This record gives sequence, structure tokens and C-alpha cells, in this order.
Amino acid sequence: MVNNTELALVAHLLRRAGFGATRQELEEYLADGYEQTVEHLLSSKGSESINDALIHRYHPDHSSRHDHSGAGSYWLYRLVYTDAPLAEKIAFFWHNIFATGYAKVTNGKPLSDQLRMFREHGMGRLNNLLLKLSRDPAMIIWLDNIDNHNGAINENYGRELLELFSMGVGNYTEEDIKECSRAFTGWTVANADYTKQLAVRNSIWPYGKLAWRYEYIDEDHDDGEKTFLGETGNFNGEDIIDIICKHPSTARFISRHMYHFFVADEPPVPQWPYTPPRDIEAIKVLENAYFESDHNIQYMLRVLFNSDFFKSEDCRYKKVKSPTELVAGVLRLTEEFSSPHIDISARNNQIGYMGQQLLNPPSVEGWHQGIEWIETGSLTERVNFTSQQLGDIRKAGVKKILATVIQNEGDYLSAESYVDKCLDELGALEASSRIRDMLIKYANDNGLPTVNVSTDREMAEEKLSAMLGVVGSIPEFQRS
Amino acid sequence: MTTITPTDSKPKVLGYSHTIGLCVMQGRGFMFPVDTLIGPDARIHTISRGSNYPELQIRVTVYDINSEYSGVYGGYDDGLRWPSAIASDRDGNVFISDELTDRINVYSPDGSTAGYWGTRGGKDGEFRRPSGIAFDSEDNMFISDQLNNRIQKFTKDGNSLMHFGNDPIGNDSLNLPWGLTVAPDNCVYVADWGNHRIAKYSEEGTLIQTFGRQGSDDGEFNNPSSVAVDDGGYIYVADWGNERVQVIDSNGAFVTKLRGTATISKWGQDFLDANHEEAEPRSRSDLEPDISLFGGDPHEESSHIEKFFWGPTSVKLDVSGNLYVTESNRHRVQIYTKLT
Repeated sequence: MVNNTELALVAHLLRRAGFGATRQELEEYLADGYEQTVEHLLSSKGSESINDALIHRYHPDHSSRHDHSGAGSYWLYRLVYTDAPLAEKIAFFWHNIFATGYAKVTNGKPLSDQLRMFREHGMGRLNNLLLKLSRDPAMIIWLDNIDNHNGAINENYGRELLELFSMGVGNYTEEDIKECSRAFTGWTVANADYTKQLAVRNSIWPYGKLAWRYEYIDEDHDDGEKTFLGETGNFNGEDIIDIICKHPSTARFISRHMYHFFVADEPPVPQWPYTPPRDIEAIKVLENAYFESDHNIQYMLRVLFNSDFFKSEDCRYKKVKSPTELVAGVLRLTEEFSSPHIDISARNNQIGYMGQQLLNPPSVEGWHQGIEWIETGSLTERVNFTSQQLGDIRKAGVKKILATVIQNEGDYLSAESYVDKCLDELGALEASSRIRDMLIKYANDNGLPTVNVSTDREMAEEKLSAMLGVVGSIPEFQRS
Repeated sequence: MTTITPTDSKPKVLGYSHTIGLCVMQGRGFMFPVDTLIGPDARIHTISRGSNYPELQIRVTVYDINSEYSGVYGGYDDGLRWPSAIASDRDGNVFISDELTDRINVYSPDGSTAGYWGTRGGKDGEFRRPSGIAFDSEDNMFISDQLNNRIQKFTKDGNSLMHFGNDPIGNDSLNLPWGLTVAPDNCVYVADWGNHRIAKYSEEGTLIQTFGRQGSDDGEFNNPSSVAVDDGGYIYVADWGNERVQVIDSNGAFVTKLRGTATISKWGQDFLDANHEEAEPRSRSDLEPDISLFGGDPHEESSHIEKFFWGPTSVKLDVSGNLYVTESNRHRVQIYTKLT
């Protein structure tokens, strides 16, 4: 069992603000201390550990981001390779809130471009992020702003901007939606008719898919006077976003999302108007941070990660990992993709089998999180995946873990020693005494303590790798 | 019918001729093509690497310079998974390297499968991700053995003859070599992808010269993927990371560069003629937006500007000196000819 409080806290941080960490990575973070680790995560935007050229060489479909498979698998590489995990995690955070799906967009490049935008601006000022979102070509197709014209508005984007992206139901009127939509007329994509037609037909002709770009058509913009949330003026989209961002409901909405994603499960978003936050004081802390920082997401995250409510042991291992978090975390441990390999597509598909197809959320509401990740089929997928991967002795990361567990321990290890070292190597996990006892029983039942690791190394590694697979199925590994 | 007049002039100017290609899952067209072979009978073979439907998409498409389609052969059922390069011997037998299986698949001139050879490993005759293939005048073949950072020479039956390029002591080791060619003077030119240069070796494997360094200026390369050399010693380079083709002379001096000039192929036009709902809005679209919109990133530029090369993975010359540029991300082959 890990008794190092600081280590356990850093491991908690890396599970929530990243995709887990190897024991060695935790040691490196630990050397800087918790607060410096938070600062490191907050300040790391790019990652030199991601070799795009190498990925593109082996996977031309990742280079062109042709479809959701290529674009999704490319993102999975990033999640596995990155040394700036929070930059990817924040993109993942916004991907679930500003949920945009391949089912309608039918082009992986604009979706991948949207993720890049989240990476670059997702920890900046909310006003700027919403502005980028409103100009995002994938979003413009996804929520039909391409059909939002001067004199003939389409309310889809305006409605969701208020309902799902910033304020939440109950904080504006139907008239506000119309006025908001008027302000975003003329915000479209270049070659609008052709782009829309290609998207509708999922066309790959003649030369594969073209990237999309934002275009503002001034003559299609309704420049007339609008009244929005009690303010009146000749508002364009930028003005609307500024009004939205200074509204208390936006601070509440973003704070609740942040708490839900990073700290503890809240009910699904549609229930928020009727169900108070589980920790109203924490939400207030985040709301204050929002206004103190002039709507700065990075500032809010700093407050969150340094808060008692985040550090509390009560919230550890309580969030069910999303399929993406689970798979990326496992692949970071196993080091299966030390070089790009065709199997990345299979791993990306595995995420989909668990219920979360990257770049293709089920609706604009994104995926429901928390316990909803666990149902009979997906639980089987999750356990089978972790058991197979962590139990595969051919994988470089697994080999390293086995070697570390066995080394310097004499000829025989006790069941307790095997269990504690396995838990430690899989990310300084702190298992409950009940789970630890079960694992010790498993080790004994499988004869691990009777194997001489010096003379029968092969047998020891075989049994130990099977045990790693079992550890991957315990709640403390399946949750974060 | 397209006709290109043969010329032996130097490539001071390369004139765009036409484009062949169409992005399709199977049949007439390509899906992520990575290399092209101009066979002894002048028929053109382009190998598609495919993506998420490999059992449909991986194939060799055969056609001629006038876009006449002859059919397909090869594919997933033959064991191809990550095909990388294609070449033929003087009899027209075709050899395809596969980076996943570490094998060379062999096909008879009629396209029927004739087996495979190759074993994963680092010993003589073994591969770790074989890539470019080229035959010499004696019908032996050179293969870039990419993760072993070397070039291997084989008989066409797969018997190992020699290897070179991997010099762990000096600074001249290859770094993830990709395409290669045997020049008319029998020297072997290698697209030294990871070192951002072209390496020239004697047929005995002695390093003679390197050309270029990393960069995007004239004469510089960014992860070159393929190289071809004409009778005049001019060197054509698929400057993959810069999304362009460059020509340098035998001393390495810059001659010219291409960024891509694709027009609609015959196969593409056939599609548009039959699909007016796409052809009509396309005709009103600007497919050549201002390049300054994309921040100087060639990859981004090429994703938006359709005529530009996007993923130029292979350059090949035919006996008339015509240049064929295979673009993986645009699923086509652009053809250029030398102008006087």
C-alpha cells in the first residue's frame, strides 16, 4: 500500500488532469511537488513528444484526417504520446460540452481542427473560446449556422449556444434565442453550398475531403438593432458572447461542468435546472474564480486543482473513467505504441465498443458520464480490454512493470508484496482493504508466492502478468 | 486522348500535363496511394495503402497514361496490410513491400500472386518495415529497410547480397529511409527521410554524397519520401514534409520546384458529369483560396488548396522522362513533362 500522501495526491491529479501516469512519471512529478506539478500541467500547451511526421508517414488517413476513424485514431496517439496531458484533457473536456459529431459533419479534418482549437484556446478566456467556437467550421455545419441568414434565421446554433454551451435552460427567453441567432447571421463557411453538399453526401470525390474554413459574409449579416438579455444594440456575434460571458448563469454553468468533469459526478446536464449542485460551496469558489479572472479557464483550473474539495480523499476513485480515459491510460502504461502501428485503429474502435466513439458523440448533449459508462456490455468490454492489455507480456511497458516488481526481492515474494507492488506500478493505486485482500487471495490461489523468481522467471512473469490483468479490473483502476 | 511528346531536354521547366485519379474504395481509382510503378509495357501500377476498410481498399490499380483503366490486382487476401512501395523486374514481375508483415509480396505480370518472402528481424536478409524498392540493371533489387536504418540488396528471389547505410560509428547512418532509386549510372539514391536529405551511394554501398539539409528554402528538404534520377543526372525529390517536389542537379544545386497544379482527372470528370448536385456547387466554389490564410504551414495549405500536392509520397520517371507524382492524401497521380 502506498503511504506517501503527496504521491497519492499527485497520482490523483494525473488521473483527473491527465490520463494517468506510470510510476516513473509520478516520481518525476513528485520531485517538483504538487503545486509545481499543477503549474507545469497548466502551462504545457504543446507537446514535443508527439511526432506528427512519423504518424503521418505510417497513416496517411491520419495525415488527411479523412474520416472519424483516422482523426479519432490520430487523437488517441496524441493522448498516449503527449507530455502535456492537461492540454489534451481540456480538449476532451470541451469535446464533451461543445459536442460536435461526425455523423453529420462527415469530415474528420474539421473535427480535428476543432480539437486543435480547444487545445490552443481551451484554457484561455471563455469569451475567446466561444468566439472561436462560433467561427468553427465543424460547428457551423453541425448546428446549421450555415443556414442562418439575414431575414431567415436558423435558431439551432443560437439555441444551443445558450442552452448547452454557456448559460443553461431557464436563464433566457425564446426571444433571446431569436435575437442571438440574428447576431450570428453571416457566420458561415467558405464555399458554403459545396461544403454542405459534400457533408450531406459524405462525399470523398473527386480527390478526398477538403478542409473547411470560416467565412463572414457581411451582406448576409443582420445588422439591425437587437435586444438580448436586456441589452439593446446593433449586436454582432462578438457582442452576444460578451453579454453571455458576464452573466452569472454562465459562471455557474461552466463551474458546474468543471466540477462534474474534474471533481465529482453531477447529474446529467438536463437535470441541472432542477437539481442543486452537490457541493454548492465548491461551485461558488469556481464562480468567484471565473469573475476574478475575467472569465479565464486556466485561472479557474488552478483554483480547482489547489482546492481542498479536489484534493479530498473523499473524491478519489469515485469517478468512473470514460472509455477514452481508460484506454489511453492503459496504452500509456503498456507502451504498445512506442512506434506507430496499425493496431491503433483497433484500440480506437475499442473505445467505441465501450460506448464512446471519439469525434462522434451521440448528440449535441455529448456523452452522459459517470455511472452511465457502466452497463453489462460495456463493463465486459472494459474488463476484457484492461485484462488483455495489462496481461500481455509482449508489451514493453508490461515487461518493465514485471521487471520492477520482481527485482531485488530475493527468490520468493509474498502475496502481499506482489499485490502492493502491482498496485504501485499501475499508478500508485490505493486499493480498499477488501479489494487488496481479494488480490492477495488471488495471488495465493495462483501460487505466485511459491514460484522462485530467480530460477523460474518465465513462470513468475506469466503468473504476474495475469495478475496485472486482474488488477486492471478492480474499481480503483476502472475509476479515477 | 492525352499525348506527351518524349523529350530529352533538361528539366529547367517542368510542365504540368494532367492528373489521373479518383478517391474510391475499390476499382477504378485509389485510396491513399503511396507508390506508382511504370511497367516495362508502359502500363502504370499504383498501390493503394487503404485505411479503415483494408479488405476493400488495398489494391494495385492498373491504367495507362491516357487514363485507360485496365483493372486491379493484389490486396488484403494476399496478405497485404501496410503496402509501402512497388517495383517490377525487367520481365514485368511485380514486387510490393509491406511494412506490417515485413515481407515482399510477388506478383506475376498478369497480376496473379506468386508468393512472398521476407522475415522480421535485424540480421542480414531480415527486415524491420521494408519500404522503397528499386531494381538495378542486373535485375537485383535494393530495398530500404527502414527501422534497421539500412539499404539491403537482394536477388529478386529474396537472397540477401549485401547491405549498407547503417554506420553506427560515423555520422552517415541513414535515418528511417523511405524511397530509393537506382540511377542510370547505377548509383543508389535514397530518400533519407529522418535526416532530411538525399544520400547517394555507389552500387557497392559506399556513401558518395549527400544533398540538402532540413528546411524549406530552395534545395532544402523536410522529410523527403522519394527520389528519381533522369538520364541527365537531375535528381527529383518528393519533398514530403514541405508538400512539394524539388529538382536539383547532380551537384545538388537547386533547379526548380513544384507545389502542385492538379486539374480534374478524366475519372473525376466522369464522376462530376454523373453527379450534378456536386458538380454545380463545385463550379461556383473557390478551391484556390489565398495561401496566406494558412499560416505558412504546407500541410494546412494543401488540405485547403485542392490543386496542391498533399502527401507526395512517390516520384517516378518513365522512359520518356515524364514525372509521376503520387499523392497519398489526394488519391491521385499528377504527371509533368519536361519542357524545352
